[in-house]
Amino acid sequence: MARSVIPIGPWHPLQEEPEFFTLTVDGETVVDIDVSIGYNHRGIEKLSERKTFDQSTFVIERICGICSTSHPFAYTRAVEDIIPVEVPERAKYIRTIVAEGERVHSHLLWFGLAGHFLGYNTVYHWVWKLREEILDVLEILTGNRNNYAMFKPGGVRRDINADDIPLVVKKIDSIVPTLDRLKKAVLDDPVLHARLKGIGILTKEEAIDYCALGPTSRASGVAKDVRKDAPYGAYDRVDWDMIVTENGDVFDKVVVRILEVYESIKIMKTCLSKLPAGEIDLNIKDIPPGEGIGAHEAPRGETFHYVRSDGTNRPARHKVRAPTFMNLPSYRATVIGETISDATIILAAIDPCYCCTERMAVRDDRGRKILGGPDLVRLSQEKTKKLANKMGLQ
Amino acid sequence: MKLPKARELVEAVKALVKGPYTSKFPAKPHVPYSSFRGQPKYDPEKCVGCLACEQVCPAEAIGHRDETENGQPKRIIIHYTDTCIFCGTCEQACIADHQGIRLTNEWELSFFDRKKESFESIEKELQLCETCGAVIACKDHLKWIAERIGELSFSSPTLFYSHLKDLGVVDENIISALKDQGRSDRMKILCARCRRETTLTTK
Repeated sequence: MARSVIPIGPWHPLQEEPEFFTLTVDGETVVDIDVSIGYNHRGIEKLSERKTFDQSTFVIERICGICSTSHPFAYTRAVEDIIPVEVPERAKYIRTIVAEGERVHSHLLWFGLAGHFLGYNTVYHWVWKLREEILDVLEILTGNRNNYAMFKPGGVRRDINADDIPLVVKKIDSIVPTLDRLKKAVLDDPVLHARLKGIGILTKEEAIDYCALGPTSRASGVAKDVRKDAPYGAYDRVDWDMIVTENGDVFDKVVVRILEVYESIKIMKTCLSKLPAGEIDLNIKDIPPGEGIGAHEAPRGETFHYVRSDGTNRPARHKVRAPTFMNLPSYRATVIGETISDATIILAAIDPCYCCTERMAVRDDRGRKILGGPDLVRLSQEKTKKLANKMGLQ
Repeated sequence: MKLPKARELVEAVKALVKGPYTSKFPAKPHVPYSSFRGQPKYDPEKCVGCLACEQVCPAEAIGHRDETENGQPKRIIIHYTDTCIFCGTCEQACIADHQGIRLTNEWELSFFDRKKESFESIEKELQLCETCGAVIACKDHLKWIAERIGELSFSSPTLFYSHLKDLGVVDENIISALKDQGRSDRMKILCARCRRETTLTTK
């Protein structure tokens, strides 16, 4: 049988890290995948060297629209590591609250899109409606739905108003009942079980070998979380559990993310109730020469920043490593051997930016286009439908 | 035909009664939360024209232009709404008690003509050097410094004259009599260069 090559990528301006996959398929089955990254140089690191330490935070925030707290969190920790200095207690709590709010909205966004890819468009619309609540919470606390502009080396820019807290808690609480129903709907759904269980398995050994991070590794039984391993912010002052599952398939990645939303809600509520009084900012004036590192558990895994200072008011070098960089190579372990209709959800399971899938095109040997991005999503949705029909559920 | 489940029926009735979740946006304007970070706006009364906001702006969305020709010298401070990222650093850096430029709740910033509508500007009166005509600072800025440092401002004629002029206690006739370009020029509002010249040289 003739082998076809499916190129995915490489460009999309919305992606955090543009990537280019070449899927080689034999009929329905994926036999090889080649991942190449490093397209689209945005010059963020160089731009950061042009700005002052304070201004850089805003550049870093715009690396990713969804992780707009994770990168500044890691960056400010790296700068504080140069001095070194401990931020005030209240600032730590505020940082934690914003970071967990971001995790909730990021996981919900992924959850909705996963539903869309599988043909569960009701889930998609429900979850995104739910996500509006947490975006409202973030707007009340920080002043914007994304790009929160909260972080600065030495503290936070904006205090949490005590009058806002009851409304915020009410809004967070309103997520839980709907989320409970969604969790039940997903975890008990026989079609989803048939569709997601046992596909795209990343075993524990592979997760360790590929250095997978975040929910991708935790779904494979590797208990790895910066928030627990090297606590920072208010994470060691709050009681929460790390969610770890054993199977490493797509279903487990869904489970890990849904359960993590509950943990994040728990952390946010505890932090809001325990919010200590005091300063929120150290007003750091000078950064001495030296180097520092900062890590933060972003929704997709550990994000890592390295900053070197030469004593001026600008970073001399700034290096960023985002979690998807570590998670992408694990495709080699998960996609090979699966069908094309499963490839979409497996690629989606590590939570990269979905924009790449919109740029899929299947070509046969003579170069004729036979499948586009929407076709692949359609294929995936049709498979779910077929399964449901076979099980007599629709 | 497959019959709907009771739960689905309840959901459908609920949706009918409640109406759509989405807002009727263009018909009904969106009201953001009071903490929303929207368009920064200058307060021409409170702003002293010091340009601290321009210096700290991470997006370089604030610029200025000094117009010294045709009579009234003025500084035009421009805020480009299309470049602004609404981070609020300008408000935090504002020396006029964070009142000179403040974030508002305004979010509706669309415009048709980028050249004409993509920015907002205010004008501040400039103080020129009375000898060479170079720009010193905005008049309000000099007054602000004089008020801040109190009696210490009497060490600098530029500062205390700005302040006294504002209070209206300066006799212009006396000042205009001192026109010999010599040491007496020290008792004028001068730029740094002229101040050095009048202090170090005698004509």
